[in-house]
Amino acid sequence: MSDQLTTDPSKPAQRMRAGSMSLTLMPWIIAAIALILMPYIFTSNSALTIMNQMWITVIFALAYNMLLGQGGMLSFGHAVYAGVGGFACMHIMNMSDLFASFPLPVLPIFGGLFGIGLAMIVGAFSTRNAGTVFAMISLGVGELIAACSVIIVAFFGGEEGISGDRTYAMPFFGNEFLQQIDVYYLTSFWVILAAALMYLLSRTPVGRMANAVRDNPERAEFLGYSARWVRFYSFVASGFFAGIAGGLFAINYEILTEENLNTASSGVILLVTFLGGVGFFFGPIIGAIVFTLVQTVLSLQTELWAFYAGSLFVATVMFFPGGLAGLLMMHVPVFKLGNAKQLIQPYIKTLLPAAIGILGVCALVEMTFHFRHASIGDDEMTLFWTTFDSHTLLPWLIAGAVALIGIGIAKRNASELKEAWDAANTAGDAS
Amino acid sequence: MSTPALELSGLKKSFGKAEIIRGINLSIGKSERHAIIGPNGAGKSTLFNLITARFMPTAGSVKLHGEDLRGLQPYQINRKGLSRSFQITNIFPAMTVFENVRCALLWSQGYKYSFWNLVNRSRQLTEGADAILDQINLLGRRDLPAGALSYAEQRALEIGITIAGGADVIMLDEPTAGMSHSETDYITDLIMKVTEGKTLIMVEHDMGVVFGLADRISVLVYGEIIATGKPEDVRGDPRVQEAYLGAALEAEH
Repeated sequence: MSDQLTTDPSKPAQRMRAGSMSLTLMPWIIAAIALILMPYIFTSNSALTIMNQMWITVIFALAYNMLLGQGGMLSFGHAVYAGVGGFACMHIMNMSDLFASFPLPVLPIFGGLFGIGLAMIVGAFSTRNAGTVFAMISLGVGELIAACSVIIVAFFGGEEGISGDRTYAMPFFGNEFLQQIDVYYLTSFWVILAAALMYLLSRTPVGRMANAVRDNPERAEFLGYSARWVRFYSFVASGFFAGIAGGLFAINYEILTEENLNTASSGVILLVTFLGGVGFFFGPIIGAIVFTLVQTVLSLQTELWAFYAGSLFVATVMFFPGGLAGLLMMHVPVFKLGNAKQLIQPYIKTLLPAAIGILGVCALVEMTFHFRHASIGDDEMTLFWTTFDSHTLLPWLIAGAVALIGIGIAKRNASELKEAWDAANTAGDAS
Repeated sequence: MSTPALELSGLKKSFGKAEIIRGINLSIGKSERHAIIGPNGAGKSTLFNLITARFMPTAGSVKLHGEDLRGLQPYQINRKGLSRSFQITNIFPAMTVFENVRCALLWSQGYKYSFWNLVNRSRQLTEGADAILDQINLLGRRDLPAGALSYAEQRALEIGITIAGGADVIMLDEPTAGMSHSETDYITDLIMKVTEGKTLIMVEHDMGVVFGLADRISVLVYGEIIATGKPEDVRGDPRVQEAYLGAALEAEH
């Protein structure tokens, strides 16, 4: 056993700590610069709208992952904390005297406070256990509050929801947030601030103990920490940041409806977070970006976007439980060993045919959809920049052949990829 | 006589009709190393779980430094200076070895549920955790996930977590279970080293470990203590030999 102790442990450890300080700051600076530059690259208003939605989803997904990834609590009703925060902000927008007394960028804080308030009430009884009990309570409470939207019309505005006007706030350095670009920078400011705060929170004693309680609540109790209180604090913090996301939603869309509270929205955020990867802090960020792109860009191309998003989710759960972030981080050892180049060729040989095969499957799906749902006599459809008659045999044969051949080649080359992967991961071990 | 570190009086526990612990009176003095031995199913682990509030006693009381522990939660008992390990290794497998120990230090260093301190910034926490790692000879494994350690190393880590908070009463549940001879020697030395000046209560099957470590021994058979005393006295007790020790000693040699 002593041979493992021959290295002087204090020095590399200190070097690592000192290095990690500058290393942890870099991604934030890059992210901030990227956020500032984005509108110069994507100038259209619709791109700004998509990015606003993205950053709001990022905050919400990070808040959600505080529960799911870091605290081990699976919530099926987390949309209500964002929703209630959003509704509260909307009401404040409509109180003209109050709203005119502070600048708009402050508004999301109120959303956060309402999120905290609701989370404290619900968390008081729901955080007693993690696991199934917590999941069921979250589902029940989520449904309950969503149902309240048609009962408590004064707050939730019934079926049409409530709307407001963000421009009535006190001008912020002369800015009234009339333009989409103004809202973009407001949202960007908040996404950096909220993400940084959530990251720092995960590095505090209560954040570390959230991980400990997730892994082994009993052990945590025998270290002096009440598992229940640790869960409660995570839950409340998550409610706060979800409320902030809700407040930003209110600013962005100037309308909130029952849709912001319901189980479908709660399901989407679970999907986003899991798709991105619950095991890493940045996972939900990737998930939010990818999902928002699928939701906005792909939905312009096809009515079946939700089908593809769902398939992507199922594939993630089945094949990459670590999500997209896990998939990325899997490659870190390979890069560290300097073997990344060995993987390029096998990756191309497998993934390119796989992508073509999947496009073939998508073509079949789209053609089936057109065949079944297009109005009678409308036989023409356009797919991949080609217009053809979906009621003739040839397109079906082509799409079917592309799907079969593509996936067939990918499958044949997959074993080669696996070998290359194993080699890339082990070769360096010997040296 | 000063207040004992741990005092059990009339402690009973039934699961349904089955009486597992049938009235235990035991007083363990400060800085004493006390071993509880007994055949399988005698209720040793149950007794541990009763003391640490993992189970509620059916009757009787547990006093830590004269203070009744009735109605307290495990985390509250831990804060009063009683810490335990488990028969089945109970660590945070996904976290690094260093983080396992650091988590064990948080409460005793007064961080409570703080969300305004950054753990990486605290020199006291880092140095404290490294000191514990040094003590349990795991500094070389510092940044590995705890789940990747060997069995003996995980047991050592568990002992490290148990003592890290600075508790003065340490309870170890079969610390050498399932270990080879050399590993057992290593863990025994480790226990000797880290419990210096502390009260130690341990359940143990390995008689070599028991006679090497313990100041006093209690023999638990079918939920009752049939003998308590110095190792040599217990060894000579005919009832103990009949019930347990003779057979065990024969098996040893």
